[in-house]
Amino acid sequence: MEIEFQRVGKKYDSGQEALSQVNFHLRQGEMAFLTGHSGAGKSTLMKLIMMIERQSYGQILVDGVDLRTLGPKSIPAHRRRVGVVFQNHQLLFDRSVFDNVALPLQVSGADPMQIGKRVRAALDKVGLLGKEKFNPMALSGGEQQRIGIARAVVNKPQLLLADEPTGNLDPRLSAEIMNLFQEFNRVGVTVMVASHDLALIARMRHRVLTLNQGRIVNDGGFN
Amino acid sequence: MSPKQNRRGATRQAAPSVSTQSKLASAKGFSFAQYFRLHQQTMLESLIRLFGYPLASIMTVVVISISLSLPGGLFVMLKNVERVTDQWERQSVISLYLFSNLDDTEALSLSHQLSTRSDIRSVEYISKEEGLRYFEQSSGYEEILSALPENPLPIVLKVIPTAPVSLATLQSLTDLKEDLAELAQVEYVELDAQWLQRLATILNFGQRFVYALSALLIAAVLLIVGNTIRMAVESRREEVLVMKLVGATDAYIRRPFLYMGFWFGTLGGLLACMMILLLSWWVSTPAVRLIELYHSGFELQTFNASEVVLCLTISAIVGTSGAWIAVSRHIADIELQ
Repeated sequence: MEIEFQRVGKKYDSGQEALSQVNFHLRQGEMAFLTGHSGAGKSTLMKLIMMIERQSYGQILVDGVDLRTLGPKSIPAHRRRVGVVFQNHQLLFDRSVFDNVALPLQVSGADPMQIGKRVRAALDKVGLLGKEKFNPMALSGGEQQRIGIARAVVNKPQLLLADEPTGNLDPRLSAEIMNLFQEFNRVGVTVMVASHDLALIARMRHRVLTLNQGRIVNDGGFN
Repeated sequence: MSPKQNRRGATRQAAPSVSTQSKLASAKGFSFAQYFRLHQQTMLESLIRLFGYPLASIMTVVVISISLSLPGGLFVMLKNVERVTDQWERQSVISLYLFSNLDDTEALSLSHQLSTRSDIRSVEYISKEEGLRYFEQSSGYEEILSALPENPLPIVLKVIPTAPVSLATLQSLTDLKEDLAELAQVEYVELDAQWLQRLATILNFGQRFVYALSALLIAAVLLIVGNTIRMAVESRREEVLVMKLVGATDAYIRRPFLYMGFWFGTLGGLLACMMILLLSWWVSTPAVRLIELYHSGFELQTFNASEVVLCLTISAIVGTSGAWIAVSRHIADIELQ
């Protein structure tokens, strides 16, 4: 999936301008990091791609389609093509790991036989195959984060968005999580990860978009 | 490979140049079998979820069933009263009091004329003398009557209509009475069915009372279910948000709550039916004994199969509607931020 922002801005009703004049083009199969201070607009940018928020001006093209042309009824189908790992709206603790990961498949009406196979495949990829019957509460922070990733990729999305996926994890676990994203990228998924862990980003050697007060101040490889 | 898989495969392999719109359309499409299976599954899951909170669910179901069994019970009572009174039929008489200036010949010709009508079985002619004799025998006013200079009584025609009088024929008999009152020779008409008219009025009143009460209590059930579902939506707020995030349609999110309302309504209706059947059985012995004092061969009526089905249908519809009212508003309120 490719994403193109053309002079995109987002003003909230409060008057706060979260993004202004944002331009970038994320090509099919590319991986990029989004960095900047908290409040620089990273989350807002991702919410615009997910159509959780709508831009105030400018154009967002997803595979060449202007998101402004999609009405509320098209939003669910759009979101099904994107896998997300968000800080809030994480796991549901009233059901097993399996059921958490199966949610995107159930929502799209997948065959129950298929659901079993694909959930296990996704859990296998994140290294949690043996824990499908557990309650997420019983697992560690790093494992919970990986459940979230399994849920994001179970639908085989063409785009993976992650907002601070290594937030509360120690450096070793953070590196593992980032490597997971890199693996998905290697099989052709477009990946965008918002993070302020600059040291980790530096080691990954991918494109980095730096936001500052709603503007992209740097776009390029990390050196 | 099913058509759905085919489509998905095609979507995944498609070059980026393929229009997103068409992909969106294919991602949205459900086959009928899928849709049916999804509904079946959701329906079952909603029921299981009710059992997850047994006490709260039972309370709601009991409140609904009480609200429904009240109009249902009154309906059964009304049905029995109507049945009893329907069986109360007897020969009715319309008495025509003729003008006193009419002589016997004129009166007799009217009597013949009336007896040829199809809605009249027979006409009994009571002359002034016969009337006087009858009056003397029955009233004991012999002396007073004999003191009068002349016979004050009019000629009376006792018209026996073809139809016996009952609630069902009351209207046609009243029409016949009005018809006969129009005759020039007739001064006054009397239909001896006043008691039946009163009964009909009371029954009509009872019917309206039951309808009004039913409407009120059904509105109460709507509110009860609506409120319960609203709380259920609120308690599953996080789940609703996650489902929206992973691309659930509003219809998909709404469905389990609508089925929850459906189950509340159906279970409430079922319990109400059971309560009514139990109540009918409980009152049947004294009720039958009471009615048999007036009328023999009476059997107490309760809900029959089709009425049970009707009760369940109504309660299921009311439950689902109550859920719909609550859900359509509250799910829109829960938005990702």
